[in-house]
Amino acid sequence: MGARIKEYLLELCCAYTFVSVLGAVVNLIGGKETNNINVLVMFASCAIATFVLFLHNLFDSVSPLVMIIVQYLAACVLVGLMLLIISHFVSPITPRGWFEYYRSFTIPYVVLAAYYYYRVFSDARKQSSIIREIQEKQMTEKRSA
Amino acid sequence: MRLNLYEDKNNFEEHVDVYYANMRPVIRQIIDSVNSERPSLQGRPADEDLDDGEVVILDPKEIYYLDHLDRKLFAYTKDGVFRLMNTLSSCEEMLWNYGFVRVSKSNLINIYKIRQLKPDLNMKVYAFFDNGERICINRSYKKSFNEYLQRMRRMN
Repeated sequence: MGARIKEYLLELCCAYTFVSVLGAVVNLIGGKETNNINVLVMFASCAIATFVLFLHNLFDSVSPLVMIIVQYLAACVLVGLMLLIISHFVSPITPRGWFEYYRSFTIPYVVLAAYYYYRVFSDARKQSSIIREIQEKQMTEKRSA
Repeated sequence: MRLNLYEDKNNFEEHVDVYYANMRPVIRQIIDSVNSERPSLQGRPADEDLDDGEVVILDPKEIYYLDHLDRKLFAYTKDGVFRLMNTLSSCEEMLWNYGFVRVSKSNLINIYKIRQLKPDLNMKVYAFFDNGERICINRSYKKSFNEYLQRMRRMN
């Protein structure tokens, strides 16, 4: 368990560094400024995303499609909790704010899921051709023997 | 591969010399044969009606895949299903050079018997065999499966 938590924290650090640097670059280019709450929301989002992706080992027996959907639903619930906490303790969030937040994490999620879907098919095609190549080489070797 | 055979009635020390460019699975198989270590699996028909008590020797080349089910190990061949007395991990070690690779906790498949790999719509990848059966390649074994294929390609 300790090792798993360590691994999770390490991945969280990497994800947060990547997202915050990317956010800083985007803000620099766009000329926008950010505040402390945004930084904390960004960190919480990274923690949720890393946690949800970290669950993939639990779904070894189910299909990847089910895993993607369950992970998305888990992320929705956690994001909902996060937004509830923010709206209760920091500042109220308008329905538009809720919609915007869900949209901003759904779009990259769908894009990445589609990419994963594509990779599953392209990897299988590649592996299939390697297997054919190995089989043909073996047949050639047998014939020449 | 060229094969030279020399008959010498006065030879009291029979031997085999193998000249090879690289240590490929086929060379390993020749070495195993010379050392009388060529793996053969012993099994009995899984179907009790067909089991006459005789032990059947199975050639790994004839096996499509091995399946570990209810603490029993089964070998699937063209001629039927046989129950083996080995463990899955010992078979994995023994049949490494013969194209067998682990694709899940309970399955070892023979890559020489695969017709194609095909993912279905829910993204599970299946290995389809010549006999029409299919075995799911588990996600957590995908990396090692890929490494095995690359290694076999390089070695062949």
